[in-house]
Formats: sequence, structure tokens, C-alpha cells
Amino acid sequence: MEKAKIGAYQLFVLILLFELGSAVLVPIAIEAKRDAWLAILLGMVGGILLFFVYYRLYRFYPKLVLTEYIEKLVGKILGKILSFCYILFFAYSAARVLRDFGEMLLTYAYVNTPLFIVNTLLILVIIYAIQKGIEVLARTGELFFILLYLLAITGFLLLIFSGLFDLKQLKPFLEDGWGLVLKVVASQTLYVPFGEAIVFAMIFPYLKDSKKIKIAGVCGILLSGINLALVMAINISVLGIDLASRSQFPLLSTVQSIQIAEFLERLDVFFMVSMVIGIFFKVSLYFYAAVSATTILFKIKEPSKLVYPMGLAILFMSITIANSYSEHIKEGLIVTTRFLHPFFLVVIPVILLGIAYFKNWGRKRKSQNGAKNASMSQKG
Amino acid sequence: MPSFFKLSQRKKLRSKVKKQKEDPMKVDELTEPIYPLLEDQLSFIKRKTGNSADVVVRKASFDEKLGIKTAVVYVEGISNSQSINEFLIQSIIMNRELHRKSPEKDPFDILKEEIVALGDVKIHLDWDGVFQSLMSGETIVLVDGCSKALSASTRGGEQRSIEEPGSQVTVRGPRDGFTESIGTNISLVRRRIQNPNLWVETMKIGTVTKTDVSLVYIKGIAKEDIVNEVRSRLKRIEIDSILESGYIEQLIEDESFTTFPTFYYTERPDIVAGNLLEGRVSIMVNGTPFALIAPTVFIQFFQSVEDYYSRAYLATSLRFLRILIFFISIIAPASYIAGTTFHQEMIPTQLLIAIAAQRETVPFPAFVEALIMEVAFEILREAGVRMPRAVGSAISIVGALVIGQAAVQAGIVSPAMVIIVAITAIANFATPSFAVAISARIIRFLFMVVAATFGFYGIILGILVLAIHLTSLRSFGVPYFAPLAPLVPSGLGDSVVRTPMWALKKRPSLIANKQNQTRMGKNQHPRPNKSRGMVPRHPQEDQE
Amino acid sequence: MKRNYLILTLHLILCVLLSGCWSKKELTDLAIISAMGLDLNDKGEYVSTLQVINPSNVAGGLQGGGGSKGPPVTVYTATGSNIIEVNQVASTKLPRRRYYAHTNLLVIGEELARKEGIDNILDAFERNPEFRMTAVIIIAQGAKASDLLKVMTPVDKIPANKIIKNLKFTEEQWGEFFTINLQNAIKDLTTTGKSTVITGFSVSGSPEQGKKLENIQDSDPETTIGATGLGIFKEGKLINWFEGKTARGTGWILHKVKNTGISFSWMDKEDAVVYQIIREQTNSIPKIKKGKPHITIEVKAEGNIMELRMPADLMDPLVLLKMEKEIEKTIKDELLLAVEEAKKNKTDIFGFGEAFHQSYPKDWEKLKEGWHDVHFPELAVDVKVDAYIRRTGLRNNANELQ
Repeated sequence: MEKAKIGAYQLFVLILLFELGSAVLVPIAIEAKRDAWLAILLGMVGGILLFFVYYRLYRFYPKLVLTEYIEKLVGKILGKILSFCYILFFAYSAARVLRDFGEMLLTYAYVNTPLFIVNTLLILVIIYAIQKGIEVLARTGELFFILLYLLAITGFLLLIFSGLFDLKQLKPFLEDGWGLVLKVVASQTLYVPFGEAIVFAMIFPYLKDSKKIKIAGVCGILLSGINLALVMAINISVLGIDLASRSQFPLLSTVQSIQIAEFLERLDVFFMVSMVIGIFFKVSLYFYAAVSATTILFKIKEPSKLVYPMGLAILFMSITIANSYSEHIKEGLIVTTRFLHPFFLVVIPVILLGIAYFKNWGRKRKSQNGAKNASMSQKG
Repeated sequence: MPSFFKLSQRKKLRSKVKKQKEDPMKVDELTEPIYPLLEDQLSFIKRKTGNSADVVVRKASFDEKLGIKTAVVYVEGISNSQSINEFLIQSIIMNRELHRKSPEKDPFDILKEEIVALGDVKIHLDWDGVFQSLMSGETIVLVDGCSKALSASTRGGEQRSIEEPGSQVTVRGPRDGFTESIGTNISLVRRRIQNPNLWVETMKIGTVTKTDVSLVYIKGIAKEDIVNEVRSRLKRIEIDSILESGYIEQLIEDESFTTFPTFYYTERPDIVAGNLLEGRVSIMVNGTPFALIAPTVFIQFFQSVEDYYSRAYLATSLRFLRILIFFISIIAPASYIAGTTFHQEMIPTQLLIAIAAQRETVPFPAFVEALIMEVAFEILREAGVRMPRAVGSAISIVGALVIGQAAVQAGIVSPAMVIIVAITAIANFATPSFAVAISARIIRFLFMVVAATFGFYGIILGILVLAIHLTSLRSFGVPYFAPLAPLVPSGLGDSVVRTPMWALKKRPSLIANKQNQTRMGKNQHPRPNKSRGMVPRHPQEDQE
Repeated sequence: MKRNYLILTLHLILCVLLSGCWSKKELTDLAIISAMGLDLNDKGEYVSTLQVINPSNVAGGLQGGGGSKGPPVTVYTATGSNIIEVNQVASTKLPRRRYYAHTNLLVIGEELARKEGIDNILDAFERNPEFRMTAVIIIAQGAKASDLLKVMTPVDKIPANKIIKNLKFTEEQWGEFFTINLQNAIKDLTTTGKSTVITGFSVSGSPEQGKKLENIQDSDPETTIGATGLGIFKEGKLINWFEGKTARGTGWILHKVKNTGISFSWMDKEDAVVYQIIREQTNSIPKIKKGKPHITIEVKAEGNIMELRMPADLMDPLVLLKMEKEIEKTIKDELLLAVEEAKKNKTDIFGFGEAFHQSYPKDWEKLKEGWHDVHFPELAVDVKVDAYIRRTGLRNNANELQ
């Protein structure tokens, strides 16, 4: 744990940037065809519920991060094993996102550049940021949040002015029924990106005002969900469902179709800026969670010394994780969303919450002072 | 002085008398009490100052009957000779009989109480004080038989008069600027803030130069923590000399591994006054017209003092322009390189063809071309700054010819590149703060390198690193990027935008004292009487 | 911390220095391709034509030279069995790296469009990040794409630009032909209920003469290129050309008409009045009536009278009402003509099928099979036109010989 304090607004910004991160770039929920936006919105509702689970856990232990209270809840040995699993999960997720990024950049802009170099550069910047600590990351987030939204609004206006919208493309509504949408929600959008907010369970104790976590989190997830749904709807209405679902990066294709006054076209750089910013924050937060969990688990005194080797580990993981982009995506769909995400994002936190309720209920029974103490410490 | 010297004074005295002759700078000797005999005193002073020509000794007899002599010692040039003559020497000579009338009194007391007609009079018991006073322009009066010395404040001498400052010129605003004299500078601020709460703490820093350094702040508005922090950092300085406030800046800044200044410096008293009123602290150094201001936030460098004198809409739009200027001066050449070597698809076809046509004959890659031009420009600028004014114009002609005409016509550089360099240069000149403009100059080259290797990806990463770096900086505990990151809603009124004066109700909350943040009364919005326009009509008034 | 900085900066520097510049491409090493043409040769191989810009001959004014030293573009051709190969073969002749990011025009030879269709060839363009989806696609009507791309054009020095602008302004002012970019074409190709239409350009005069620089030094160039027809596709293959009123009728239904002049007869005089459209709105409303698909096309047009070749009292609103009726009839005829022609060709270029898909997704399941061949030709189409004359120009009545 470092000595740092972040504000509620900063948490909101971090959540927003984290959720938008890579999700805004890739064809998320495209399996739900024209109803992708609906699947995203429903996933967002689920994500908010999951966030409440994480928040409730935090309220039981307002001074501890996720990997610390795991030990308290399930016992030392099992707790340590679980903590270690979470470290691996965070690091693996960071590596996955980094790989996503490298693949994107290589596919459309830097065809001849090795993946290793592209990823190395970004991870170096991330290492630099993490060494500066969560406070600096949050402040940087505040700056780029403004930049990102300026870009988004400009892009949106340009799309409107170039007359590319065809809302008819979103029809027919629910062509394949609710079944498909709900399936996509349960298998994808609930976890990516909304459930991933579990990394913030590693950051909650840094908040100046713990009462505002709930509002910041809900606002962050809500806004990001609406934005993602909007972006997906825009993609489909501009590109049509066939192009949107065949695009590796639908947002890129959408941005590329802007053509105004023979001058404002080829705005790929818009996409690249938003991509680098989003990915930077997503990897950074995963990475930060992994580093701080490792520090706690192995009781390392100087976390900043850990940043460098772990960064390199993530870099190498990101490169060796898959041979091709298709393999990488397939791996993501099968391994990550089918097994890792439900397990780490839903099952374990819910079980933990159950245990926490049970323990606290027992404690309340034993002595009412305990409850008072808990509420005191929450206030503090 | 370390106190243990005093405890063992006597023992050391004897043992060190001989050695002292070899080393006149020995500090220990100065802690000795003043010798009783005038001859000894004067010869000591002469020995210590190496018989310097500007140290003037004027002897006068005080009581001829008793044979009491006095001597007046001062340093010519830094003291006001007129007041020495009138109020010291003349006064002593005219009042010789005073001691004769009451011989029981100590001549030294008479001198101090009845003869010396000057304001600030101090008595020194050791040499250290004597020399400090003497060297700062005060006059020393020594009396035969008394082992103490009297110093009278006669500071003065030739000084630059108050002129319009050379940097930070404004169209509207006061025209006076700081001078090299700290007394004048403090008085300029004091004239603006006529309040006893304007506190000036003066200390001498520099083991050799003994420079006066003043910590100026407004008690009650400045945060105590910050004042204490500045004071303790100043006290920590151990250096032989302070010749400019830059010495202090570099010794007490929060982060030295950066090109960005964490102090604001200015030679305008109105800027100092304004910042003091926001709760900041100013450090003034004798011998330089530049005062330091801390804590500093980044956005300050994009604010001109004139913003506060002109109306809000103008000020706000100018601030946006300045931020744009800063970005241009950092990334314009880098974007050109990235655009022409990596992302040709971004450039509109017609423009691309035009640039390509210009570049057909250029023998260098775009990066080398840009580097040549930027370096050439930097050379020209450095030459222009350091050369005597008369040669300056010749340099600009040569520069314009070489860069503008000949290089393009010879096909060595493309006209587009000249345009980019020119825009960058002008943008750099237009940055209101010289300190930030200089860091932009350095960073620009780094951006050019990353742009040449990775195109826009490199530029974006560069901006990220820059942002991380800037947000990680602090100036006396205040985040450098406040009030934008961390966002301080109450501070936004005077950041990128400047809201109208009546809306600037609070001082910056991170800087000013928490208890004293309101700076104006309620309802300060101007409320003129509405006499025309859509105003309800009162028929009675019309009849009158 | 200090050491960390050192390591970090060292690594950064090493990365930058060792990495070199893989994706770097200097401007002077690029052959900026303004247009690309595709043809089929006798052996069934692809022939690609690359129109490469000579920047110094286009951008005038530099160093007093002016742009007339050489041709503004140079054309290279190559042969191969697929698109990528054919383009890589072209590099054997090109002195520079081929650069497609500014290829704003794709020309497809009529033979290729008829025999092979366009669906197979578009994948290579879609997949390549350099090639842009906003590039305009046209068909060389009755010619080879290579012939079209070799013609030198006056006014706009780069022939590709000439074609694109030509298309853009004829769409704006006439409405018969319109710009279809790769994205639109692919969207239509992948939609079951809609077929593609692509504008055709043809060469008038001798293609041989058009290649020469003298062609643009004449005030009346011998060889010119211009839009001549609207290519109608079925299942990705060109099957027919629409021209004249049929083409404009198609434009109406696809809501592409912006400003066009409609001449109609008045008092038995043919084409006596010209009505200039300033605003137009078209909607195709699908309905299922008694299990049968039914389309209503609603057109709303606003415009001014621009020419009157016989006396008429334009100050009388009743006259204008009558004229509006005439206009409505004329427009309706054009629309029905286009629909009839499309039905004959058994291809739904208007996207009626897609309209059913969007509004009646369940019924569409049944209609989907054989839409173009069975259901579309039997489709009942209603046209409702509302035309309004808003203004009549600077004069109220026509000049009369006294």
C-alpha cells in the first residue's frame, strides 16, 4: 500500500476510462447482431449489481483491499492461494489487453513493426506511470478524460455532419429474440468490460471519502455503458450489420468513413489517440492491481522495485500468449470469458460476500459492540 | 554561529591569534570580542579588509582633554555619503563638548544617544556583526577604549532607478519593475499592499556573499505550512554565494529532474502582489530584479498579469490561444515529421501532392530536414540573444536569407518545412513565460525523435509521458497541474478560463489559508440602473 | 528512484535507436496512386492499371517551373491471377513503393463486371488497411478500365480527381448518376434485399489520342471521359445499363436526387416549362397486404420554375397548382419507368427487400428466398408524388412577341 489519496471524481474518471478502454475499439457484443447496444446496456445493469457486490465487501473491510480481506474471510492458506490466483488473473488480463493493443496497432497502422517493439514502448510508459503511483495515474486520467471526450464529441459531430447515420440499419429490433441478447449478456458483456471493475477493489481504500465510492462507481459504469452502447449503435448504423460484424475494429471503420469537405477525412489518428489512451489506462489499472496485490502477498517493502520486473513479465506474456490474432481472440472467448471471468468476477466475490455476511452476522450475535466498532471504522 | 564556539572562546583565543594572520578569512576570529584600543580596532579592520580602497576610515577626536578618539568607518559606494557627512561626522565634530559637560557618562552612550542622528542604530560586541553591518553599507563608529562598536544605517549609494521591466511587458498595467535593490523591491510591494499583515522575513544566505534574502507573505492569507516549509528550505541552504534568485530556485525546488519550472519568477511588483494576495509566498533576493513565487501551478505560466486587468472574455480567449501555442511549439515539427513519413494517408490528397512536389528535390529524409532547420533556427536565436543589439539586425537578415530564401531555392529544404519552423518559432516566442518556452524548446526535439521513429504513436506516447511527468510534479506540496488534475472545481474560475471578476470569489483553495479564502463581498456583480431597453415604464417619471 | 529513471531512459533510448523505423515511408519513396483499374484479359487473368501521380507536374508554381513539363500522371499495368499478386507484379515496373492510401478511385472494366462480378475482388481492398473504403468505384462502360485511366483530362489535371468531381457534381445537379464508394458497394452486396448500382463512365473519342499530353493542350480535347450510364448489378454481376430517365428514376427512389431540372409539357407544348428541384424527400414504405408485399414510394419535392418557353400566368396560384400536377405526373412516370426496368432485370436495386426486412422481419423470412427472381418482379408498387412550386424566379411571365 502506498500513501496516497484519490478523490471520488478521480475514481469515476478511472472507472470510466477503464471500462471504455479496449471495449470501445473492438466489436463488443456483436454476436447479438443489431441488438448489440441492448446487450451492452443489459450487461451494464449486471455490471452495476456486481459493483455493489465488490462495494459491499469493501464496506465490511473499509481499510483493506481485495487480496487482504480474502485472507481474513477464507483463512490464511486458502486466502493466499486465492490471492495468488488473483495476481495471475490481473497480470494475465493486463497482458491480454496489451496484446489486443499491439495487434490493433499492427493491423492498421504499423504493419511492418514487430509486436514486441510496439508493446515494449507502451509498457515502458505504463511502468513509468505506475512508479509514480495511483495518485498520478488518477490525475493523468483526469486530463485524458477531457481529451477523450473532446475527441469523442468532435467525432460524433463529424459523423452527423457527414450524414452517414442510417438508423434504419438498427432495425429490425430483436430479430433473433431475447434469447440471443441474454446469451451475449451472460457470456460476454457482463464481464467485459463491466465485471472487470473488480480491479477497483484493489483501489477503494485509497479514497478520501469512502461514502462517495458508490455514486462514483455507479456513475462511471452507467456513463461508460451508455457510451459503449452508443458507439456500437453508431458503428452499426454507419457500417451496417454485415460490415460491423466483419470488422476487426468497427470504430476504426466508422471513423474512416467520415468525409467532410474533402479535407476532414482519414481521421485514423482520432482512433489511434483514443486507443492509446484507453488501453493505457486499462493495462495500467490491471497492472497496478497486480503489483499492489503482489506487494501485499509477499510483503515486499518497496513496491516500486517490483514494477519493473512485473512489467517485463507482462510484456513477455503479452507476446507469447498466442501465435496469431485469431488464436488470441479465440483464447479470449473460450478461456477468459467462459472460465476465468465467471470465476474471478462473479463466483468468488459472491461467495466472499456470503462469508462476510455470515461472519458479521455471527459477530453481531456475539456482541453488539462489534457492530459499533465496524461502523466506527467505516466512518473513519 | 554554532554556539559551542562561545563556550570555549577564551581557550581558542590565545591559541589561534598567530594562525589568523595567515588566513584572514578564518571565521573563528570574527567571533572575538572587539578590542578596546582604537588603533587595534582600526588595524584589525584594515587587515581583515585587506586595505581595500573603498573602506574609508575617518578619525576624529571626541574629547581632546581626555584624549578620546573616535573613528567612523564605512564602505564607499554602498553607503549614503551625504548622510554620513551630515549626521555622523559633522555631528561628532560639532558635539565634542557634550562629553566634557558630563564626563561621568560613557562616551559610547553619549555617542549613541545624543550624537548619531540616524534611524537604525545597533551596538555590536563582536567583529562578526561589525563586518556584516559594514559590508551591507552601514557605518561603524568606534570609540577609543570601548570594546564595542556602533553601527548606523546609512545604506545607499548608486542604484538603478525604477524602470519598466524588460520582460512581461503589458499594454495595460503598472509600468514599474523591480530593481537590484531588495529594499526598493519590498517597498514596491508594500506600496501595493498597505497592510501590517504583509510580513517580510529577511535572512542572510551565502557564506561569502551574505546576500539578503527575504521571505514575503501575507500573514493570514498564506498557508502556515507552506510558509514554514519555504522557511525551513531556505534555512537549509549552505552555499558560498547567492548571486541571483535562480540559485535559490535550484536549491529548494521539489523536483530537479525536470525541464519545467516549479517556481514562477517575475520582475513585476504587481504580479508579486497579486500572487501574495492569492496566498502565495515570494522570495526576494538582493541584487536581482527577479522575485520567486511559490507554490506554482502549471497553468500560471499561461496567465498574463494583463488577464486580470482586461475583461474576462478577452482573457479567456487569450488563455486558450496560449495553450494552443504551447502545443504548437511542442509538436508542430513532430507532427510534420510523423505526417510526412508515417501517416501520409492523413494528409488531404491535394496537400500531400503539394508537399511531395516540394520534397522531390530535397536530399534529406524529413526528420533530418526538420532537425537541420530547427537547429539552424536555435543557433540564430541564440546568436540574436547574446549579440550586441547593433549586430542583432544583421543576424536576422542573414538568417532570413539563409533559411528563408537560399535554402529553399537550392532545394535543400522544402518551403513547407520553412513554414513549420517559422510557425513553431513564433509560437515559442508567443509563450508568455520564458521558462516554459525554454522547456518547450527542449521537449520539441525529443518529440521530433519519437515522431521520426514511431510516427503518431510515438507522439501520443510522448504526450502521455509528458502528462504523467507534469501531473507527478509538486510545488511545495501543491500538485503542479491543479486545479485541472486533481480537479478543484472552485479553482477552475481562474485556470484555463478566467471568469469575470465578480465571480472570482475565492482564493485558490489548495494554496491559500483554509480559514481565509473569501476575497470579496456578496453580490459583487455590477448592477447598473436600467434606464433604457425593456424596462417597465413609469408614466409619472416621464411627465416630470 | 534515480536509478530507476536511469534504467528507464536507457531502455527507451535503446528501443528508439535499435528499433529503426519499420513502418517509415519517406514521401520521396512513394508512388502515390490516384486511381486503380481492373480488367480481365483473354486468358481470364486480372490486368491492373495504376495511375501514379507525378507530384512535381501537378503542383505548379514552385521554383517558377509550372506544371506543364510532363504528364501529371503515369500509368502502369500488370497482369496476375489475384489482386494482390497483380499489384505486386506492378512493382517490377514502378520505381517507388506503391501507396494506396490516396487511391480515391477504383475503375472496373465492363467485361470484368459482367463476367466475374465484383464480389470477389472487393475483399482485397477491404482487408488492406492502406486502401480506403471511401474510394469511389465506377465501371468503364463499353471500355477497358485501362483505357479510361489513360485519358488526360483538362481543368483537373489528375484524371482520377476529374472523375470523382465530375460524379459528385453531376449527382448534385442532375441526379442521374451518383457516387458509390467501396463501403456502399460492399454494404449493398452483402444485403440480401438490395442490389448494387454503380455509375459507368465511358471514353468518347480515340483512347490512343487521349493518352497524349496534347489532348489537354487543345481547347476542345479530342478524347474526353464522362458519366454515361448506371450499371445495374445482380448477385454481384453487371447485367444492364440504365440511362436517361430510367437512371434518374432510380436516383429518385434511392433518394440521391438533390437538384435537377424537370421539364414538362404545358398547353400541349412539349417540354415547355422547366422545374428546378431544390429539396426532395423520398420514402419507401413497405406494407404486407393480404399476405402480399406492397411498396408505397412517397416523394415530396420542392422547387422553382426556372424556364418558361411559352406564356403562362405564373401569378395565378391555380396555374401553379395545375403545373404541380404536371410535375407530379412527370416524376411519377420516371419512377415507375425505373421500377419497371428493374423488374424486367429481376434485380431489386432500390432496397425494397431490405425495407421489408426491417419492418416485417418475420414475413421477410418467407420472402427472402428468391426475392429478386420471384417476389420482386411481382411486387406491387405505388408512387405518390407531392410537388410544390415555391418561387418562379425574377420574372413573373414569359416574354411575348408583340
